[in-house]
Amino acid sequence: MAYLGQIRAIVWKDLLLELRTRERLVSMGAFAVLAAVLFNYAIDKTIVRPQDVAAGLIWMTIIFGGLLGVGRTFHLEAQDGAFQGVLMSPTPKDAVFLGKAISNFLLLYLVSLLVVAVFMLFFDLELGSSPTALALALGLGSLGFVSLGTLFAAVSSGTRMGETLLPVLVFPLLVPMVIYGVGATGRLLALRPVTEVAGSIRMLAAFAVMALGAGAFLFRFVVED
Amino acid sequence: MRHVRRRRSSGLSGEGVASLLEAASPSKTASEVVIRATGLVREYGSVVAVAGIDLELGAGEFLTIFGPNGAGKSSLLGLLGGSARPTRGTVSVRGEELDFGVESWRHRIGVLSHKSFLYSELTAAENLRFFGRLFGLTDLATRVPERLEHVGLTNRAHLMVSQLSHGMRQRLALARALLHDPDVVLLDEPYTGLDPSAAAVLRGVLTELKDGRRTVIMVTHNLGEGLHLASRVAIQVSGRFAWEGEVAELDAANFERFYHRVVEGRT
Repeated sequence: MAYLGQIRAIVWKDLLLELRTRERLVSMGAFAVLAAVLFNYAIDKTIVRPQDVAAGLIWMTIIFGGLLGVGRTFHLEAQDGAFQGVLMSPTPKDAVFLGKAISNFLLLYLVSLLVVAVFMLFFDLELGSSPTALALALGLGSLGFVSLGTLFAAVSSGTRMGETLLPVLVFPLLVPMVIYGVGATGRLLALRPVTEVAGSIRMLAAFAVMALGAGAFLFRFVVED
Repeated sequence: MRHVRRRRSSGLSGEGVASLLEAASPSKTASEVVIRATGLVREYGSVVAVAGIDLELGAGEFLTIFGPNGAGKSSLLGLLGGSARPTRGTVSVRGEELDFGVESWRHRIGVLSHKSFLYSELTAAENLRFFGRLFGLTDLATRVPERLEHVGLTNRAHLMVSQLSHGMRQRLALARALLHDPDVVLLDEPYTGLDPSAAAVLRGVLTELKDGRRTVIMVTHNLGEGLHLASRVAIQVSGRFAWEGEVAELDAANFERFYHRVVEGRT
């Protein structure tokens, strides 16, 4: 129970800090809206049907916007050595990772739903054949993304290149998530039956579980001296 | 200056270290030792920050470590506090060796640095509650107000850390370091950046640490403050204890001159 309490404490602290500073949510949200506006003008709707390209654009917006937020995960932590204080507590490092990944997930999932809402508005999309399946695909994709993002944000925060290194490290690993996330989202937006996307959703779940497990296991080696 | 006991760390291991420790503290039994470091070495590439330090301290002892910049004092404290791994050697607290795969020993150690380890956008009380939860403390409703009162910050409990003066922040950091009642308290340059009145307040709080229960190790450049609080003194030069002794047997008035002689290798 102490383990869960430690994870909860980190989630609570991260969300409270975000509520106070709004540093990440505002930048991610603003990016999502502005990107959707630009994509709206970047596509000639007389040639391309919006629902054919919307899924890919939604996921790219989520990934680029998410990087803005995840990349800042350890920014506040670095001030006055606060994260060092966390690392010197008896909290297991995997609990620290899980706490940070969960708080990042909650923020990114909120942004993902905002992205879908904004694209629906600009691209005249319907909510799809199964809003629940769409929400699940977005949730699993976001979880996989923040798991890798949190781990590599810890890596990049300790380097001189900082946040510029993060996409170089993370993007190659996101390929499976993009393939299955875009596949599932595209079919759902095209009003295809849920059974068609069950396989993609299972793959997204497997990716999320593996990314979360790998992050929890490897985090210790990243943050320890 | 009477030179009471002089022990140079040798980087020995095994029997050599054991006999050295025995000679240094002949009356201290294993059960009385709170923190023990044996053959501690820390290398950063070709740079040797800590070059084979042995020490053992019992409850109630207050060791102040002086030394010039780059002597490896903070590195030593990092090894003793478990924020860095030794290249060689071991550290144990109450007989439990610091093992990075197990975090439970961290309950026994509290660290105060010139960095506060606090979140500037959380209030003083929120910071203590957060760190208290990480230490698995369950009585935070009573413990947090008590600790804030102890460091004179009761009426600042609901202020953000960013709104506190440096002195107040340092006192809050001390409350954080002591929140879980550690056996060993490590103080890394706690007086850095404090004005004289803030330093006096901090001195008062640190003096209370000499309650006979805790073992305190402080690293500082401030010779006056360091001597005032210490029961034992070590002077670290180039990663080793160049001199170590009991403060009661030192000539405090001439300590600065003695310190410079040790640092320059003239004694």
